[in-house]
Order: sequence, then structure tokens, then C-alpha cells
Amino acid sequence: MNKLVRFFLVIALASAMLLYAISSLNKSQGYSGGDTLTIYNWGDYIDEDLIKQFEKETNIKVIYETFDSNEAMLTKIEQGGTTYDIAVPSEYMIDKMRHEDLLIPLDPSKLPNLKNIDKRFMDLPFDPKNKYSVPYFWGTVGIVYNPKMLNGKKITSWNDLWDPALRNEILLIDGAREVMGMSLNSLGYSLNDTKRAHLIAAKEKLDTITPNVKAIVGDEIKMLLANEEASVGLVWSGDASEIMSENEDLNYVVPKEGSNLWFDNMVIPKTAKNIEAAHKFINFMLDPKVAAQNTEYVGYSTPNKQALKHMPKEIIKDQRFYPSPELTEKLEVYKNLGKKNLAYYNELFLQFKMHSK
Amino acid sequence: MDKKITPLSKLFLLIVFFILYAPIFFLVIFSFNSGETMYDFKGFSLEWYRELFQDTRLLIIVLNTVVVALLSALFSTIIGVLGALAIHQAKKRQTKNSLLSLNNVLIVSPDVIIGASFLILFTMAGIKLGFYSVLLSHIAFSIPIVVLMVLPKLMEMSPTLIDAARDLGASRWNVLTKVIIPFITPGIFAGFFMALTYSFDDFAVTFFVTGNGFSTLSVEIYSLARRGISLNINALSALLFLFTILLVVVYYFITQRNKVNGMGVRKR
Repeated sequence: MNKLVRFFLVIALASAMLLYAISSLNKSQGYSGGDTLTIYNWGDYIDEDLIKQFEKETNIKVIYETFDSNEAMLTKIEQGGTTYDIAVPSEYMIDKMRHEDLLIPLDPSKLPNLKNIDKRFMDLPFDPKNKYSVPYFWGTVGIVYNPKMLNGKKITSWNDLWDPALRNEILLIDGAREVMGMSLNSLGYSLNDTKRAHLIAAKEKLDTITPNVKAIVGDEIKMLLANEEASVGLVWSGDASEIMSENEDLNYVVPKEGSNLWFDNMVIPKTAKNIEAAHKFINFMLDPKVAAQNTEYVGYSTPNKQALKHMPKEIIKDQRFYPSPELTEKLEVYKNLGKKNLAYYNELFLQFKMHSK
Repeated sequence: MDKKITPLSKLFLLIVFFILYAPIFFLVIFSFNSGETMYDFKGFSLEWYRELFQDTRLLIIVLNTVVVALLSALFSTIIGVLGALAIHQAKKRQTKNSLLSLNNVLIVSPDVIIGASFLILFTMAGIKLGFYSVLLSHIAFSIPIVVLMVLPKLMEMSPTLIDAARDLGASRWNVLTKVIIPFITPGIFAGFFMALTYSFDDFAVTFFVTGNGFSTLSVEIYSLARRGISLNINALSALLFLFTILLVVVYYFITQRNKVNGMGVRKR
């Protein structure tokens, strides 16, 4: 008995010491008390030096937390119990949050830097008049391919993927709308098409690509492509830039038929405690120099027109990530299709996944 | 148990151990990589360990994880032992069985469901998500494990032992502290260490109940994994692996010592 009591006392003492260590570490970081701002962002989606700069300029301490999917973020915010002042969801999720009344309207008078954003990226269907959201990064869905492994063959359109020469070479990202969208675009239909006949045609076309598909994978697609496990992959442009920085043989292309245009936007969720600081932070991130630095770190495309002036020529001239206006015209933002249509997309995608070679 | 171990079964054992440990060693080896990625080893360096120790945020998260594990194991052991005693004392066979099956249901029910229900509970009760919500849920899901580790020890104990103690004039309290608890001590330690490891590697439940700047390692690594894990996570995993080995060794020595003490009492 005594031994047991002693053992437990040691454990209790150790925990107390650890708790003390944590609180003093927290204090040294300035996390406790005072003016704090809690940010909920994707993993590795900001240059951490900028957070320090913001803390220094405003004396507001930043608590930075990360999530890995829009759905995970939504669950946390929907349930309350958290005090996130800023979150960075993707466009379809903003639409959803807007309808579920989970967002606080922005005060444009506190965001003078909003004028720096390219007009092309404002007032989009997922958030008319940008009442709730400010664009953070944008990008496309496209094809990463390895010319070396394909003997110099070039890929320019979605239909190139159906080439029998690519047998067992393609990796697809595991997303119903991305894969269905690829097929819809290749047939010349809209990404937001809801006509049953069009969708069935797209699914039937997808079935014919199965001999070329090596696997349908999640985030590991980046590693697999950089490792040259496969020569072609359907990915988001942000992932593409990461893959290409790891393996310079690879190339990225936005197919000429058009593709998806996606956004990650900054919003203030209903759970926010420090709305004043949240506006300050959003405005800070819209500063041209800050946005330029952040863009160079993260590698996605910035919607900040003024920031482009502060960035190296070779980045902004890169048509793969800053496509020409003609191609941008063809890019489509996902619309919220509603539960029924989305379920149908998922159903067709599932059927495609089960389709044997 | 006099059967000889055949070379074939030895080989099988070897293969199983290799499969289990190879990934871990692979991970540890690459934590010393001077390169950036998991697929080419460029040379030896301690760069990632240095980066790890400079990252205060990650360090806080590690300490959080350890504290939650220790405290939740501590509390759940205390509560679990009391629970096991209560189940053991139950007079009617039916009550005992139903209590035990209720306990088992909690062990087999999926983590995701437990996590989601905790999230709903905490938000309904108005408890802010953070340290306490994580601690409470870890205590809750560890208790059934402790009960399960302690109960067999209680069952093993001969009732005549207690009768003898009572006959010799021991009070109820004395019976509990001088007879029962020493007898079940190995079970209590086993329960404590099981709870510790459970808390350590739990992701599903913790994922739902973290928030407000409080995070644990499993949740953090999961959200980092999205962009391909940086090698300082390898370094961290290597350190944690070492730490767990240390725990196992300590546990081994404690049980060894207790065995010597316990044997004298056991009469079967």
C-alpha cells in the first residue's frame, strides 16, 4: 500500500512540475492573459515570421491552431466551445457556413487594404459582395506530369489522360468533385452541371479511364509523384508547386478545356471573442509586402494584385500558377450543389471507384 | 510448457518482430537525415533534433501530451480500482455481470463515437474545450481499462484470506489497505501503465475535444501530415519511442519486484 501511495505521489509531483513548466513556457511565449487572437488555419499555411511581426506591431498575442480538412474545422466551430477569431475555409464551406449563420459580417471600414485584392477574385457566387470573407489564396485543379518518364510527351488537355499509352500511370486525388469535374470538363460540360444525363455520361467516360489509373489516393499523392511512383497526377495547384519544388523534373498544367478555380478565404466565425484584433490581422495579411512574403513561403497563388509587384518576376510570369486571362475565363468556382446533387456526385464517384479494370 | 521451440517457429517470431519494428527503425534512421525528405538519405546530422528543441510550440504540445497522460492515468487508476472493488463486492451475480458488461461496452465502442459524444456533452455543459475537456475524456475512457486489469486480480484472491484477516481482528479499513490492495497491486500498476499508453496514443477522442490553443501530439501530427511530414516529426517520434521503451523497462522492474512480494501471499 505504501509503495503504491509513494508511486502515485511521485506521479502527481511530476505532473505538477510539468504543468508549471508548461505555464512558464506559455508565459515566455506570451500566450496567457492580455490581448490574444486565435487563428485556425490549414497546416503550414502561413509564414510564421509574419505572425511574430504582427505580434510585434500590434502587441496582440497570436495563438495558432491548425486543421486538416474543411469538415473538421466546421465541426469544431459548429459545436462552439472554442474561441477561434479567424478561420480559413475553402469557398464551398464558406457558402455552407454563411447559410448556417456561423459567420460574423466583416466591417469594410476596418479593412482599408481590401482595395489591394484583384477585382477578379471579389464578389464571387460563394460570398456575394464579400460580406463575410476575404480571399487568402487561390489556385486551380490540374495535371502534374513527368515529361522524363513520358519520353518528352506533353499533356495539355484533360483528354490526353485517356491516351492508352498512359496505362497504369495516373494517380487521382480522392475527391468526388475533382474527379467527376475532370470528366465533365473533358466532355465540355460545366463543373457544376446537375443534369443527370450529363453526369451519367461523365461517369461512363470515367469508367474508360480505369486502365490508366494506378490508384486513387489522399495527401500521399505528393510524395508518390515526387518519388516518381507514377508519372501523371490529378492535383491542386498548391500541391503541384510543392511537388515540383521537391522534384524538378515535374511539370504542372491547367488543361485548356478549363478547370476548377478554388479559394481559401479568411472569415470571422461566430465563436470569435476578439473581433477587433481579427480585423486588424486580416488587414495586416492584405498588406502588399506581407502578402508577397507569405505567398513566397506558401507557394500558392495570391489574389493580392499589389503584392505581385513585390514578388520575383519568374513567379508571377509563371502561367502555370498565374494563368492567362483567357484561361481564367474558363475556370469555374464550385457552386454549392445542394445535398441531393452532391450525394449523386458521390454515388457516381463511388461507382467509378468500384469499377474494375 | 516443455515443448521445444522449433526453428520454424523461431523464424516466424523473427519475421513478425521484423515487420513490427522495421517501420519504426526506418523512421528513426531518417530523423538523422541531413536532407529534407524521407526518400533519400543524404548524410548524418542532428539538424532536425535542434529544430525540434527550438520549436517552443511543439515542445509545449509534447509536455501537454505527457501531463494529460500522467494525470489521466493517475485519476483513472484511482477511480478504476474503486470501481473494480465495487463490482467485486456486488452480491448478486446478475448485477455483477451487468456492471461488467457495461464496462466492456465502453471498451469496445468506437473511439470516434466516444469522442463525438464527449464533444456534444462538453458543449452542452458549457465546459470550454481545452486542457480540462481533454483530461476528463481521457480519464473517462481509461477507467474501464483499469477496471478490466484489476478485476482478475480480485477474482484470483481467495475469500478465505479476507475471512482470516477479519478473524484476526482486522478492521474493514485494515482489510482493504493491508490485504486487498497489496494483493492487487500488480493489477493496479498494469492498469496504470495501460491507461498511460492509451492516453498517449489516443487520437480519435482527443481530436474532438481539443481547442482554444490546447493540442496534443497525435492531433498535431495528424494536421501536419497533410503537407507531407517534416523530418522533425521523425526526430520527435524517435524521442518518444525511446521514452516509451524507458517506461516499459521501468514497468518491467516494478512488476518483477512485486512478484517476489506477491508470491508469498498467493495460495492457489
